[in-house]
Amino acid sequence: MNIKRVLIYSILSFAALIYLLPLVVMVITSLKDLDEIRSGTLLSMPQALNFDSWDKAWGSACTGVTCEGLKGYFWNSVLIVVPAVIISTVIGALNGYVLTKWKFRGSTLFFGMLLIGTMIPFQVVLLPMARMLGFLGLAGTTSGLIMVHIIYGLAFTTLFFRNYYISIPSELVNAARIDGAGFWMIFHRIILPLSIPIIVVSVIWQFTQIWNDFLFGVVYSSGDSQPITVALNNLVNTSTGVKEYNVDMAAAIIAALPTLFVYIVAGKYFVKGLTAGAVKG
Amino acid sequence: MHALKIQNIEKIYGKVKVLKGIDLEIQPGQFLILVGPSGCGKSTLLNMIAGLEPVSNGNIFIGDRDVTHLDPKDRDIAMVFQSYALYPNMTVRQNIEFGLTIRKTEKSEQKKIVEKVSKLLQIESLLDRKPKQLSGGQRQRVAMGRALARDPSIFLFDEPLSNLDAKLRVEMRGEIKELHQREGTTIVYVTHDQIEAMTLGDVIAVMKDGEIQQFGPPQEIYDNPRNQFIASFMGSPSMNFIPCQAEKVDGDMPTMQITLESGNEKVKVPIKQNIKGLEAYAGKSVILGIRPEQITQQGEEKPDSAMLNCDVELIEPTGPDTLVTVRINGVKTVCRIHPTAESKVDKLMPLLLDMSKVVFFDPDTQERVY
Amino acid sequence: MNKSSTPRQSLGELLPKLVVAPTFVVAVIFIYGFMLMNAWLSFSSSRMLPKYNWAGFLQYEKLFANDRWWVAAENLFIFGVLFIVICLVLGLFMAIFLDQKIRAEGAIRTIYLYPMALSFIVTGTAWKWILNPELGIQRLVREMGFESFTFDWLVNTDMAIYTVVIAGVWQSSGFVMALCLAGLRGVDDNIIKAAKVDGASMPLIYRKIIIPGLRPVFFSAFIILTHIAIKSFDLIIALTGGGPGFATDVPATFMYTFSFTRGQIGLGSAASMMMLMAVITIIVPYLYSELREKNNEH
Repeated sequence: MNIKRVLIYSILSFAALIYLLPLVVMVITSLKDLDEIRSGTLLSMPQALNFDSWDKAWGSACTGVTCEGLKGYFWNSVLIVVPAVIISTVIGALNGYVLTKWKFRGSTLFFGMLLIGTMIPFQVVLLPMARMLGFLGLAGTTSGLIMVHIIYGLAFTTLFFRNYYISIPSELVNAARIDGAGFWMIFHRIILPLSIPIIVVSVIWQFTQIWNDFLFGVVYSSGDSQPITVALNNLVNTSTGVKEYNVDMAAAIIAALPTLFVYIVAGKYFVKGLTAGAVKG
Repeated sequence: MHALKIQNIEKIYGKVKVLKGIDLEIQPGQFLILVGPSGCGKSTLLNMIAGLEPVSNGNIFIGDRDVTHLDPKDRDIAMVFQSYALYPNMTVRQNIEFGLTIRKTEKSEQKKIVEKVSKLLQIESLLDRKPKQLSGGQRQRVAMGRALARDPSIFLFDEPLSNLDAKLRVEMRGEIKELHQREGTTIVYVTHDQIEAMTLGDVIAVMKDGEIQQFGPPQEIYDNPRNQFIASFMGSPSMNFIPCQAEKVDGDMPTMQITLESGNEKVKVPIKQNIKGLEAYAGKSVILGIRPEQITQQGEEKPDSAMLNCDVELIEPTGPDTLVTVRINGVKTVCRIHPTAESKVDKLMPLLLDMSKVVFFDPDTQERVY
Repeated sequence: MNKSSTPRQSLGELLPKLVVAPTFVVAVIFIYGFMLMNAWLSFSSSRMLPKYNWAGFLQYEKLFANDRWWVAAENLFIFGVLFIVICLVLGLFMAIFLDQKIRAEGAIRTIYLYPMALSFIVTGTAWKWILNPELGIQRLVREMGFESFTFDWLVNTDMAIYTVVIAGVWQSSGFVMALCLAGLRGVDDNIIKAAKVDGASMPLIYRKIIIPGLRPVFFSAFIILTHIAIKSFDLIIALTGGGPGFATDVPATFMYTFSFTRGQIGLGSAASMMMLMAVITIIVPYLYSELREKNNEH
């Protein structure tokens, strides 16, 4: 091992440390009590494993007017994420299938239209969407949020599946057509069995996006229907008496756990989702 | 009764006419080759026969049924693709059965068919493997097996051998021909390889720019190409095209003669064939078409040969014979000589031109002069 | 004789279109229709409630006369430039270092990239704690013996925007690393071998051959980072709340504040239209290159 390699390893390790520190600080802080926080520093270790702040963050911390912790909002997020992810992935898969294997006049234009949908700043649709949700009677409901997430996730899921299916040879579809299979049969018997990796990518991407969403959540939900990110922000910003940093950190970790878990379990696919459409092939 | 009849088929993409009115007809049991350079429309035509691409104009009949607007599945065809297109998630057996299952063939019947086909193609040991686990040649066999299992009235092959290496290609070529001879199937076969076309076909349609240039048995196309494109496309090495001056020789039996020049020798060669068309070129230039094997070393004189001493520029031994490049009338000319014949670069070599089979083309239209 | 097959044929051709039709309708209404509606709002005199009248450029005039908007725009510029440049540089170097046949590469990569899985709200909350002047980094360094160390950017009007840069870079640089690493792995080995045979040193090979070859990767990364920067909203809400005062406002928070808490719908929509313009100037070249590539496939 020469000096150059030592240097490279040192730099990489140092960088890794920097990336890890915030998480470490969060965990340490969440395990301390307020006295320890006030007397110690960011990196001083807790004297004992103390999960009180986790209990409080989950069950009794104040998030604005109510003081019932994050648990209700956690389940709100689950209720929003599950249907939104499933529906947007299914539709995205079908769109991708049509856009690559059953092209029609104007299908490329349609794809271009959707592609722009992945790029617009959602601020331009916030106000009209608020009107629409009011009109549909979905304002301030989880159903409304589910709808919003499906609609604005479709462009992404379609992009994923389209870019994946384009590498499946069309001859395969032609062979199946000659064998007598129709639109649905080909999708079900030929395309779907090949789609597992991209389904995972799409599900993970949509899951992280929707779980982590704040903009739609804060604009279109109220009170009981809020997702966890909004609740976390409320919890942190609710100033009643002493600032409880340990509870804040516990709450932040709770809000981050599902996506972190997914990332650790299926990191490979997570990266693929991030880079899909960015790096060709 | 024809097996396949194509009437005035056109394919138009926007403003581009990809196929410009194709007419074809083949009999049951015939092996039709569609051959031509890439972009000539041969694959489009095949896809239209298969029903994979809509027809812009014209009609397609399979047997006595007009299938022009039918779905592929209703046409009674099977197809073998260039990339084989085996379903990657299914085993070989499932691949072969897929089309049968969709057509609701009985299970016991399916089993019999798979057995028969796999035996025919010697893929019995592969039935439970996935396509990924097969070699290129094995995949090729399975793809053919899948087509055979369906027992259709016409088989369509889309450049099925182009993904194989040279040796395997020759082997599979032989097997396809054997299969055809044994089973008497009707086949439409697309290729860009003129050797495949010559070796496999009963009839060949040479295509270019969306048109059929010539349609006929392989030997007929080889010996009597209708224009310079076909003459150069069929045969390897290609036919030589030598521009030369034609003259009329008066006499009891007026004949034509052309002038050939190589090194510092100039000879006038009489054309004894009965070529009426050539008379129109008296005093003008014309293109002489002569294949490499029609120019050989001395000692194989035929009644209609002309001798010319040529300056050798390049010698390429191929094994069974040697290709010698000389210059005649200023253009490079390839000759196929016996490997034992003596030749040396930059030395003169006496060569015999067999004039009995030469053809002539118009220098402007490149059409054959009859 | 084939009359019976005609209707089935047309159904077969119709089916794929039917399948994508809902998405098409949704895109037309919820993306393009809404963009138009929003544009209309920005030309109306809407305040608390949307009004669909024509007020010309009234809202844009109000917007451009608003100091807070210019602070937001300047902040976006500072944040955007620093965030993008630092992410690109860090990402590239980490990728190059990681590409040196490093042991435990997978683990290190996982560590660099995990922040990307977090919500910006979580990131903001964490960094808000780390950067807070009383108990955060300032205290840590002072306890280490540097008594006069001051690090109060979070509450410093002039410096607060840079804390957003820090948190943003922490979250997104790993992503650029992943992109660059994928790009580096895609470089043809034979080219590097050829350069070595020609006598080039590794640094030279990187500078002259490999990094120039990553141009498309940088391009994509640039587009995505710019996009993140323009849309950045949650991070600022969670980290600084736009404060102190409105020192760290960006267009996204400005738009939110005026539309939903101050009842200035017209002004908010005008602000969002400006954001759209900013994105369009970036997407157009991207789409152009994307489409050109598609044409090359044929």
